[in-house]
Amino acid sequence: MIQLFHVTKSYGGSEPALADLSLSIEKGEFVFITGASGAGKSTLLNIIFGIEAPSEGHIIIDGRNYLKIPKKDIAPIRKRTGFIFQDFKLIENKTVYENVALSLKVLGVSPSAVRRRVLKALSYVKLQHRANYKPLSISGGEQQRVAVARALVKEPAILLADEPTGNLDAGLAVEMMELFKEVNSRGTTVVVATHDRALIERVGKRVIELGDGRLL
Amino acid sequence: MTAAALIYLIGDGIRNIKDNLMTATLSAFTVAFALAIFTLFTVVFVNLGTIIDTWGDKSHVVVYVKSADLSELGESKLKKDILGVPGVSGAEFVSRKEALALLKEELRGHESVLDGIDIKALPGSFEVKIAKDELNPAGVARIVKRLSVFKWADEVQSGGEWVEKFTAFLKFSRIFALVVGLFLAAATLFIISNTIRLTLYSRREEIEVMSYLGATTAFIKIPFFLEGVVVGVVGGVMALVVLAFGQIALTWYIPSYFTFIIESPVSPQSLLIIMVISGFLIGGFGSLLSLGRFLRS
Repeated sequence: MIQLFHVTKSYGGSEPALADLSLSIEKGEFVFITGASGAGKSTLLNIIFGIEAPSEGHIIIDGRNYLKIPKKDIAPIRKRTGFIFQDFKLIENKTVYENVALSLKVLGVSPSAVRRRVLKALSYVKLQHRANYKPLSISGGEQQRVAVARALVKEPAILLADEPTGNLDAGLAVEMMELFKEVNSRGTTVVVATHDRALIERVGKRVIELGDGRLL
Repeated sequence: MTAAALIYLIGDGIRNIKDNLMTATLSAFTVAFALAIFTLFTVVFVNLGTIIDTWGDKSHVVVYVKSADLSELGESKLKKDILGVPGVSGAEFVSRKEALALLKEELRGHESVLDGIDIKALPGSFEVKIAKDELNPAGVARIVKRLSVFKWADEVQSGGEWVEKFTAFLKFSRIFALVVGLFLAAATLFIISNTIRLTLYSRREEIEVMSYLGATTAFIKIPFFLEGVVVGVVGGVMALVVLAFGQIALTWYIPSYFTFIIESPVSPQSLLIIMVISGFLIGGFGSLLSLGRFLRS
């Protein structure tokens, strides 16, 4: 369960990126976070993932206050969380296969299991044929799918996705959502930040709408 | 950490070196030359120390005894006189026979010049040892003056002021070698640490991603630590080669009676082990230093 209590995030400007935000996401829930550009969607996901700390307020994940967790305990939490970054964050000098595999190597998975699971994850996003390519030699849409495969391959308890279909055509975006629904049906909590209204309506899950860093 | 993770990390460390082969090679050369220069200074430092100790032992005064007085007064009476002089820590009698044996030893290969020499022509003497706190020109001069007063003393010889000056010079050289050596060690550590830091900066995005995937600090550190250690150890072995060539080259320029100053006080095998351990420590500590700073930032 993810709970936010009176979370405010300010970068020093006149308006905070998030203002006194309180919300709750149940374990195993599928939630969309939507809003216009600059509404605070990415900031909210970054705070849930622990990349950024809130200026005020508290975040409780599975009963633990994220702000009071010792630094050494952050890694185990991130091992159970998959994050699909808007800018993908793929390692340029590693192949598609190696990028996805790194997610499992960090977990200490055996080499044979790594191979099996990476190829399976790449097949989910239809990228087996790109396994040996470097990220910069494939298209933006393909890079986004590599990022999806890397997040899903470790079968996370929580999946956070920041505009995961931003570079995909409509057909692939729908397929990606179907994949997320399938992952969610196996118990993963899925939080997707997107401004794609059509996609949200098509999937038909709970929507948290933000505007100027506040709940609408 | 699981065995699979460890195997991956070792492989990643090797990949790091392969990917940054040029930087790694240059770093290894830097370690090699810095270690070689440091070792050369250490060797000179140790050898100078040996000379100082030897000179310290030889900082004694010799009192030659008039033959007649020796027979009349006896060795023990004269020794008692000498030991009664303040600042004298010991006295050893060197008989005529022993004096001849010593002379033969010093003239090894040319003993024939001593043929027919009358043992009676050699004087008996006392080697007088001076207490450490009197081992200075003024102290030695004072003792020489006191010993010369004895009527039975034929002649009193001391090493002279130049020995003291030379000792002072050697002591200064020793301090100089130590300071330069420490400076070189710090410089080597700094170079290794910065080389690893440059590698870390060039791969900061990768490190960031690894941290987002849940990699522990140890998981991130190990490949870079291994890279530093391998560079350090290779540099250590290369240092031995540099030293070997350096010694050959220096032998051409240093007078033969002074070449002992660059001779290793330990065996080549021991030197190899010392170089490998030094390289390991410099590489490992240098990488940990930069990793700590980098991950904190």
